[in-house]
Amino acid sequence: MSGEIRELRYSMFKTGVRYTVINHKTRNIDGYAKVTGRAQYTFDIKLPNMLYGKILRSPHPHAKIKNIDYSKALELPGVMAVVTGKDTLGIKQGIWRRYKELCDEQILAVDKVRYIGEPVAAVAAISEEIAEKALDLIEVEYEVLPAVFNPIDAMKKDAPEIHEGVERNINVTRHIEWGDVEEAFAEAEKDGYIREDWFRTSSQHHMCMETRAAVSSYTPDGKLTVWCSTQAPYYMQALLAWVLGLREGDVRVIAQYVGGGFGGKFELDAAMFCSAVLSKKLCRPVKIVFTREEDFIASKRRTPMYYYVRTAMKKDGTFLAREVRVFTNGGAYTGMGATALYLTGFFCSFPYKWRAYRYDGFRVYTNTLPSTAMRGFGAPQAMFCSEQQIEWMCKDLGLDPFEVRRKNAHTECYEVPGQAYIQSCGMTQCIDKIEQWVKSKGDLGPNRAIGISAAGFMSGGIFNWFDTPYSFSSAVVIINHDGTVDLYVGCQEIGQGSNTTMAMICAETLGVRVEDVRVFSGDTGICPPDLGAWGSRQTLMAGNAVKMAAEDAKKQLLEFAYAEMGLNIVYDLDIKDRWVHVIARPERGMKYEDLVKKAIRAKDGQRIVGRGYYTPRRKGMISPAYSYMMQAVDAEVDPETGKITIHEVMTAHDCGQPINPLGLIGQLEGAAAMALGYGYLEDQPMDEGKILNPNLVDYKVIRATDMPKTGMIEIDTYEAEGPYGAKEAGEGLTNPTAAALGNAIFHALGIQLKELPFTPERILKALREKSEKKEAN
Amino acid sequence: MIHDFHYLRPDSLQEAMTMLSEYGDRSKILCGGQSLLIVMRQGMVAPEYVIDIKHLNELNYIRFDEKKGLAIGATTTHRAIEKSDVIKRRYPVIADMENRLASIQTRNWGTIGGNLAHADPAGDPAPVLIVLGAEITLASLKGERTMLLEEFFVDYFTTQLNEDEIIKEINVPVLPPRSGCAYQKFNLLRNDMGIVGVAVKVTLNEAGVCTDAKICLGNAGRVPIRARKAEGAVIGQKYDEKLFAEAGKIASEECEPVSDIHASEEFRRHLVSVLTRRMLVAAWKAI
Amino acid sequence: MEKKLLRFKLNGLEYEIFINPKTLLVDVIRDHIGFTGTKKGCESGSCGACTVMVEDMAVKSCSVLAMQVEGMNVTTVEGLEKNGKLSPIQEAFLDYGAFQCGFCTPGMLMSATALLKENEGKVLTEEEIREGIEGNICRCTGYNSIIRAIEAVSKGEYKEG
Repeated sequence: MSGEIRELRYSMFKTGVRYTVINHKTRNIDGYAKVTGRAQYTFDIKLPNMLYGKILRSPHPHAKIKNIDYSKALELPGVMAVVTGKDTLGIKQGIWRRYKELCDEQILAVDKVRYIGEPVAAVAAISEEIAEKALDLIEVEYEVLPAVFNPIDAMKKDAPEIHEGVERNINVTRHIEWGDVEEAFAEAEKDGYIREDWFRTSSQHHMCMETRAAVSSYTPDGKLTVWCSTQAPYYMQALLAWVLGLREGDVRVIAQYVGGGFGGKFELDAAMFCSAVLSKKLCRPVKIVFTREEDFIASKRRTPMYYYVRTAMKKDGTFLAREVRVFTNGGAYTGMGATALYLTGFFCSFPYKWRAYRYDGFRVYTNTLPSTAMRGFGAPQAMFCSEQQIEWMCKDLGLDPFEVRRKNAHTECYEVPGQAYIQSCGMTQCIDKIEQWVKSKGDLGPNRAIGISAAGFMSGGIFNWFDTPYSFSSAVVIINHDGTVDLYVGCQEIGQGSNTTMAMICAETLGVRVEDVRVFSGDTGICPPDLGAWGSRQTLMAGNAVKMAAEDAKKQLLEFAYAEMGLNIVYDLDIKDRWVHVIARPERGMKYEDLVKKAIRAKDGQRIVGRGYYTPRRKGMISPAYSYMMQAVDAEVDPETGKITIHEVMTAHDCGQPINPLGLIGQLEGAAAMALGYGYLEDQPMDEGKILNPNLVDYKVIRATDMPKTGMIEIDTYEAEGPYGAKEAGEGLTNPTAAALGNAIFHALGIQLKELPFTPERILKALREKSEKKEAN
Repeated sequence: MIHDFHYLRPDSLQEAMTMLSEYGDRSKILCGGQSLLIVMRQGMVAPEYVIDIKHLNELNYIRFDEKKGLAIGATTTHRAIEKSDVIKRRYPVIADMENRLASIQTRNWGTIGGNLAHADPAGDPAPVLIVLGAEITLASLKGERTMLLEEFFVDYFTTQLNEDEIIKEINVPVLPPRSGCAYQKFNLLRNDMGIVGVAVKVTLNEAGVCTDAKICLGNAGRVPIRARKAEGAVIGQKYDEKLFAEAGKIASEECEPVSDIHASEEFRRHLVSVLTRRMLVAAWKAI
Repeated sequence: MEKKLLRFKLNGLEYEIFINPKTLLVDVIRDHIGFTGTKKGCESGSCGACTVMVEDMAVKSCSVLAMQVEGMNVTTVEGLEKNGKLSPIQEAFLDYGAFQCGFCTPGMLMSATALLKENEGKVLTEEEIREGIEGNICRCTGYNSIIRAIEAVSKGEYKEG
């Protein structure tokens, strides 16, 4: 004990703070449940009297529903109910609640289907097998309509109308502009360099290990409880109440363990909606679990984009201006696609300073699976185009790509005009570190090279299209008489480790240990509202709420301690590692447990309760803070077969103050696996709107034997807006990888790949074109 | 959803054949089930009777004889073949091929007999066994018949097996001296199905002239295909990479691949050409 | 369909149940017996989330008819801990952060356990470890933390009991 006290006294004179919890490798607090099979996912839930539901889906990309006859299905023994759109309130819902025209999805189609896989009817039966058999007995009469599958065709004048009254199927447009773009391009025209390229990005599926699943239980007293696999229980609570005509308070959503999210699980899905409608009809619990095929064909996907980028720079590599135009394949409904459309435009400027910038984005409806948010939220697409083009321009001009990036990179206290204010920024340090690493590798031999890409990302989206009246994040800290702490948060654990992060922030602030904190999350019935796990918002926003709640509770304790210890008013008190002490004389103090007991007595026997909340105000349009990174991918290509082998991924990363280094490395490696998949493996090819690989045989996901080595260099910055200086550290890491891989291939083979993913056939085609060009010259 | 079936569990090969003769095409032999159960779940195969032979130890063996060569019983698992010392020593190409066949879990439960009976043109064992000159023995109550493995495959997922027949054994002859083999499949993930696969065996005389060559192409047609013209180009010749490239081109012309979401027909032909050349080099070097 | 009697051992305990013979092993374990640690992630035998050990071999329980394990020993994730004490590989998973959402973890642990059992007393190479778990998809971690955890156990950094 005395040794620790000396340590504390020493730290008092240092400018920096010594943390007892933060930045220490900490075991995930959900780990015991997860490594022993105890963790109960929605997939595992079985309630007394429970029925099983199945969903009938549209086989047509675009059709009117003329009639649905399910009388035969009802005759099948064991079938309890069938519901169709007519059994619902027919509400067009969406997460953009503030903008009614963007609420366009009736989860059970009422009169029209707009993509293959759209839910048309749902059955509840005493077993999954009977429910499945019943689907075959439902007769749906469709009037098939002409359909359109890509945004370019969908915008044509005579294209089929997918949503009534939506001209040229344009769902959303977004415009970002600053500076005088024309003037800057004119300058480059005179004495600079301009390059323009078209790119196409592919689709990617979240492919969560746990498919969409929900168990709904509606009881005759008008209360509904829904267990579901979601990233945002509060959103689901509000949306379910809306579409079912219930009060929010009568709906409780529970999501304790969630088998992955990646952006795919914060909209209302058919498992939740259909099970709730069936349960409401039957007053019995109903469980619906998507098959892997259903998950692939009907649970949304990463937004595919057609990208035009025109960039002007001075001959010395100083960026002048950029013009970007994007057409996204929105699929049949809005989903989170409108946000992806905005963010891709914003992040195509990242992480650089542009004198002038103009972005025009068009999200277009098509008769395909809707596209939505997915890890990176539009930014991986932007980086893929931007970072490759910058690399090519450097080559065209004979400039050093590190130097050019450094010259134009964001720096601390920089304002992206009208958009964002950057406080902490470690971009240049990231570039320096990766440059050193790349140079240390030397020559790698033929057909192999290292590609680089810079990137940045938001740290907590400032979007309230949902129009919540609540704070973005809230937390409640309760200290029990034995000193244990109950932490109630609305932020959602989906595997990213937010429960552990919150426990650590709470423990650090209160001066206790992580094992003293028990986290309650994933239950709208007991946790305060929080917008959920999306937009990289948990560490910063929920973390700030937790810190504030813990500070509130701690203040109450210390007020009592102050009186108890009879201190001179010039002294300050703190708690570290369960020791309440005078900061100037750390040996003078008392045990935290003793203080808690006394303080509770003094409070009429009430537990100590601290409250905290966070809502970003006056923090710009997008986010209160931004993470930065530079990544290098070492890859080799077989020029005869086009096969890519990835040797290593190295990342220099500025996420402010890391909270849990163990969680951080996991985020980095996981993001690399997913983003490499985006780069060279994953796609959802379609034929007339039908996804051709809706299974894990044909949809390729990186496996252990194909995963390269990964390394991380942490850049030390402090973000004033984040709890203990922390920023985003999981989603943004998906952004640079496809571009870095593309640049590696560019340097290895001299080909420029403008379409994702980098399949062997695309590589061979580019090689052929290159040699034809050479011959022609 | 798997359709209901009657489950039969014979205690011997004899009993299994009796059941087969009784139920014929209403029944299906189940061994490791690593392919069969998946197609049954998709409802593509729905037998009334399932005859489970997984536990039949009388068909679970790997035997080697200096004269007769290698004998593998039909219910032998892929993993047992992969790990077999004698196979590693005498037919390393088989052990290596097995090591990249699907996942360990599949290899632990799946069997060689089941794999061959499934007759997926992308299956790994067939091309390798075919270039090694393997024979397959089928058994029924009427008796046994043995044929070259390359004659066993008829079409996609279709074999010479009559409805009362069962695979009993695979025989691989002893390799002549100065023989070398190689197999490689092209895919993007290490243990994935091959987009195409090429197996090569060559035998040389003392002067280094090729006296026998067998080239078999996987997933480049309805069945594993012998590239006979390409073989002809190599026989009688010495090591010559230009010649191997030519043989590759010939092979790419004699195969019959199709386009699917993983590769176009053109790309498959290209891969056949490249892999054939590379496997000829590798087989030569393996001598 | 007439039900069949199945007798087998699950995590050391004898079970006797009557099942429709088409029932898959994973469904017997999860639905009939109620051990929900073992997961299902696909219908095509691709993802490995349902991996269990049959006689110490890693097997995908979604691709095995339950009737086929008659008389055999089956181990699931619930069978790894002994009297509340975690097995070495479970401890290592915690220390190395070898899981995130946790859905693939039970299957991953069974593949890892089978691999370590098969190679007891031998220090596994990184490549051997990667091959040992290539049948299991993990969408969260990128595998490398899992490799480190298995490596640590293989090197004897964690002791049984």
